[in-house]
Amino acid sequence: MAEQAYTVASDSETTGEEKSSIPFPEIAIGIDIGTSQCSVAVWSGSQVELLRNTRNQKLLRSYVTFKDEIPAGGITNQLAHEYEMLSGAAIFNMKRLIGRVDTDPIVHASTSLPFLVQTLNIGVRPFIAALVNNMWRSTTPEEVLAIFLVELRSMAEVQLKRVVRNVVVTVPVSFSRFQLSRIERACAMAGLQVLRLMPEPTAVALLYAQQQNVNDLTSSGSEKIAVIFNMGAGFCDVAVTATAGGVSQIKSLAGSTLGGEDILLNTMRHLLPEMESHFSTRGIDEIRKMGLLRVATQDAIHKLSFQSNVQIDVDLGNGRKIYKVLDRNEFEEVNKDVFEKCESLIKQCLHDAKVEVGVINDVILVGGCSNIPKLKNIITSVCKQELYTEMNPLEAAVRGAALEGAVASGVNDPFGTLDLLTIQATPLSIGVRADGNTFIPIIHQNTTIPARRDMIFTTVHDNQAEALIIVYEGDQNAVEKNHLLGYFKIVGIPPAAKGVPEINVSMDIDASNVVRVYAGVLMPGSRNPAAPLMEVRMPTVDDGHGWCAEALERTYGSTLDLVTVQKKAGH
Amino acid sequence: MSCRNYGVAQKLPRTENGLRLYTRPDNPPRFVSFRVRPGPVIQSSLNDTVSLLSEQHPISFYELLGIPETGSLLEMKQAYKKLARKYHPDVSPPGRVEEYTQAFIRVQEAYETLSDPRRREMYDLNIAKGLHLAFSRSEFDEEIEEKNEWKSQWQSQLSGLKRRSMYKESSENMSWAARIRRERNES
Repeated sequence: MAEQAYTVASDSETTGEEKSSIPFPEIAIGIDIGTSQCSVAVWSGSQVELLRNTRNQKLLRSYVTFKDEIPAGGITNQLAHEYEMLSGAAIFNMKRLIGRVDTDPIVHASTSLPFLVQTLNIGVRPFIAALVNNMWRSTTPEEVLAIFLVELRSMAEVQLKRVVRNVVVTVPVSFSRFQLSRIERACAMAGLQVLRLMPEPTAVALLYAQQQNVNDLTSSGSEKIAVIFNMGAGFCDVAVTATAGGVSQIKSLAGSTLGGEDILLNTMRHLLPEMESHFSTRGIDEIRKMGLLRVATQDAIHKLSFQSNVQIDVDLGNGRKIYKVLDRNEFEEVNKDVFEKCESLIKQCLHDAKVEVGVINDVILVGGCSNIPKLKNIITSVCKQELYTEMNPLEAAVRGAALEGAVASGVNDPFGTLDLLTIQATPLSIGVRADGNTFIPIIHQNTTIPARRDMIFTTVHDNQAEALIIVYEGDQNAVEKNHLLGYFKIVGIPPAAKGVPEINVSMDIDASNVVRVYAGVLMPGSRNPAAPLMEVRMPTVDDGHGWCAEALERTYGSTLDLVTVQKKAGH
Repeated sequence: MSCRNYGVAQKLPRTENGLRLYTRPDNPPRFVSFRVRPGPVIQSSLNDTVSLLSEQHPISFYELLGIPETGSLLEMKQAYKKLARKYHPDVSPPGRVEEYTQAFIRVQEAYETLSDPRRREMYDLNIAKGLHLAFSRSEFDEEIEEKNEWKSQWQSQLSGLKRRSMYKESSENMSWAARIRRERNES
């Protein structure tokens, strides 16, 4: 490997402020960071090419092992055996864990992984550690991801024979902006500048737009509606897109933390109901047994995609053996909830897009779970349409990301292959806390971005001089069920009866998906702001945002509250 | 105001802002030239319409998309995708991103309004009444969703305020933050 001079840069290098405005001389590479596998692709000048590691693999296992002093990722490291990954020394599933606090159910579901995930349920980041020489070495998902990305970057640089700085990274639809900021931070730590974070199905949508454009050069008018369903190991995403003439307009997005990992855990629990208690002591022996069960179950699930039953034979030692024939119906029954949720996600996405089943032109199923027959059945029956077959389900997202990388880097293709555009929509609403403990969306979900919206609020107390703007992201009515993005205070509201000052809160998402919140005060009869205009880039909170909201509530109660103007006038 | 039909556009009366619209009689128009009194005549084609789309010029959503008021949904979609490919910040020339983003947001607003039959009807109605030329969508959404008495009172107060402010500057289409930003930049 040529250059290993990379260091992990400081935490603060997450700027990316001028992402969309500087002309990029180099073509950004596309990276699909999967929960279980990663891939890298780049526009080669005439087409998208996937990069390979020295072992000629294009799908790279997402993990980092902490064996000796120097950690090694799944790119350079050759696993002696599958079980090595499950020895406790390897950290994986970082995409599921990144940016989550220890009260998160997803973190709780990860406590049965071979490495250590400890939760104290106090709203801080979980304790994550790898077993190194029989000791727990603590780490964070950001660090693990950064180490992995450093290897990925060096692999790409060796192959492309140039420096790689700019990347387009695909992300799950359900990621909060806080989680997105963690991905950006991990990239910055690895010396990579994020040009775009692209929701996975929208990357697939761009690939689809390109394919349609190539196939159909004559008609620029006819619009095609496609439903994209992407389910990998960690996440499940849906998008509805309207495509014409190389332009993919995202009409709606829906996502959930639901993936192959859940299917795997459900099935493991089905095979060994007392699984959690079995492994609670977490000795080296227990970790090894859990690894055995994990590998056997994974293998069985894969086989069930192509055969109707599978024999499972695991020796857990001490006379404890699992010997069972699992058939497909049983497997589907065990994972009934997962499949039902998938179905409701597609229906919700179609509903949000205001698209009738009859107008769908193509149904695209991609991701690591796309071989599961039940999933295929659900999707084809909801959309009443056969599946689109022109894409490799495991490469679609990274290919789309590479196309976006070329387009966003300003590359022109003489044959028009890159005359493409994705018009993104925002998957979650962004708003503020007002009217008591209510989340008031200002930019609603599935709004086309770039976007700008504003809304007028007012004070709840007479002579209220200050107001707290607490910004949340989500789709729940109760604020605490949404993600806290940040908060700031407006000061200097002139003395007035409650309900008189007009507090304008404006939000703005630019094409790089950066959110800015502006707030200012207008008094009736005056056209000039009564207090200095606040302009804040979100998110502003770091770890422990669970604590943050609680502390704000405890310290200020409702003294700095706001209400929407409409509700006040409604009395 | 605004033209009911591009074929008769030349007979249009002068608008209250002194904005006059001429088009070639072909349909849909290739070139639009318009005059802002007392400024010079600006010749513009659909290929360079940033000035047309800037917040200072209150033109109708139809003009924004460059389609006749009788335009079909298909025409609208085609016009929208064409303009998106021009103004979307991902493909706009470096250095003009901010300007193009504004244009894109306005194109988006026009498209979302006109591609929804219910909103389009409402919009056409308002144009016929000569009330608004184009107005901010948040107001518009609310108008559709809730029509309580207090609501319309509040709305009329608000639009009254806005109309008054229009005499000073044609800022009725600017969002509040955009207006403040501009004022701040000017000061």
